[in-house]
Amino acid sequence: MNDYDIIVVGAGPAGAMAAMSAAEGGRRVCLIERKAKAGVPVRCGEGVGYRGLTLTLEPRPEWIRATVTRARMVSPSGIAVDIGNVDKSWVLDRERMDADLVGMAVEKGAELIASTPIVSAEKTWSNRYRAVGVDGKGAEVEFTAGCLILADGVESRLARCFGWETALRPSDIETCAFARVKSDCIEPDCCVFYTGRAAAPGGYLWIFPRGGGEANVGLGVIGSRCRAGLPRELLLSFINRQFPGSKVTGLHCGGVPVGKWARPLVRGGVMLVGDAARQVNAINGAGLAYSLYAGKAAGAVAAKSFRSDGSVNHKALLEYQRAWAKNFGKQQERSFALKEFIMSADDAFLDKIAESLSKEDARKVNYLRVFMRAFASKPALLLKAFRLFK
Amino acid sequence: MTVIDPKRCDECGTCISVCPSDAIVIERAVSISALKCASCGACISVCPFGALSLEEKK
Ligand SMILES: Cc1cc2nc3c(=O)[nH]c(=O)nc-3n(C[C@H](O)[C@H](O)[C@H](O)COP(=O)(O)OP(=O)(O)OC[C@H]3O[C@@H](n4cnc5c(N)ncnc54)[C@H](O)[C@@H]3O)c2cc1C
Repeated sequence: MNDYDIIVVGAGPAGAMAAMSAAEGGRRVCLIERKAKAGVPVRCGEGVGYRGLTLTLEPRPEWIRATVTRARMVSPSGIAVDIGNVDKSWVLDRERMDADLVGMAVEKGAELIASTPIVSAEKTWSNRYRAVGVDGKGAEVEFTAGCLILADGVESRLARCFGWETALRPSDIETCAFARVKSDCIEPDCCVFYTGRAAAPGGYLWIFPRGGGEANVGLGVIGSRCRAGLPRELLLSFINRQFPGSKVTGLHCGGVPVGKWARPLVRGGVMLVGDAARQVNAINGAGLAYSLYAGKAAGAVAAKSFRSDGSVNHKALLEYQRAWAKNFGKQQERSFALKEFIMSADDAFLDKIAESLSKEDARKVNYLRVFMRAFASKPALLLKAFRLFK
Repeated sequence: MTVIDPKRCDECGTCISVCPSDAIVIERAVSISALKCASCGACISVCPFGALSLEEKK
């Protein structure tokens, strides 16, 4: 019998952080991962803001591939807006970072069980939780614990075992294709974004430099405007046009949830964290900083919610949801409202904003200014967005 | 029902996130339960690589 205090399913950043902080809190923790190695292939643009990341974690120098000091947004008709005043941000080596986070969780005492997809989970008669997986040899394995942390990513199914309706509307998922491109045309310190129907309907295309003349190039299409295979086609044609003859490796795809964060985050002894909880900034698809924070908070709260007889105080677990709501939840909801607003805008609107901003001093332009300009030119939408803020 | 072309599938899980009937599972590879699939097509149109399609029952 594999019995623990806390089971964490999924060894991405959310799960690794949860396992690490739960083990640090003195609990017997297992971290169960479907793949032989979590984080491979990397499904991420690897961009992260300094503030968001360092709130939870001091990054190791070897995780940082590039420091970004400026950005450019290209409108549908090709008007470029230089954003000189960007908050400090990095492009990371996620493969390395994800592996190190799992290593750190193991160092703190969590037991890693890899190559074991969990196929079902349930509450037992004794008020504990059972998760059933399939091990590397195809045999069924059972795990039991007093608390279950679900960090099973965008593909999360296990929350459905406990009554959560986590299926996303097509308008709440960005469907993405991305690759690594090596080319002389890559600017080593600049993130470039393309918008518009031709580049990425209801999403954007990104170029994030990662050192050595290489960049992550990818795009997301909103699910409601997607058709089978469209992200892949758009990406390959962009790369052919923009970087002809370049070396392209690691062509992969992925989905980014861009709905509202899942409520509640806690049911009984079950907690949702990271992409499984839809904790992603809906305007730019950034989920790493949120996942790290949520994982750490959930693990720490779970660890201290055990009573002396080994049972779990389910009410005490709710502190995790309160902490998330206070620190990032409001921000996430605002990003969702902004996303809904942007989705209602057409190419002509984006061009108009770009045109007016392109005449300004780039050193003074920041992301906020871009949004304010958008709102200023459509006051009716501003009102609508504010109603959504509440 | 919906069928999957394993040669095109990258196992990213985007299809699972939109499936309203919990019919899609990744274990070693992605598989679709014929029993649960309602042929709604949600997964087909969001697949970034176009690995899913509808197949008529014969
Ligand atoms: C194309 C793309 C680009 C992105 N770019 C950025 C970016 O530039 N910046 C940013 O901040 N964010 C970005 N994101 C989002 C970011 O990558 C995610 O928010 C983040 O990885 C979420 O972490 P997680 O731990 O919740 O999930 P994941 O990293 O997805 O980890 C989930 C883990 O759970 C495992 N798992 C799933 N089901 C089971 C099961 N049943 N049993 C056992 N294990 C299971 C999976 O194998 C996986 O290892 C991007 C996402 C995509 C798809």
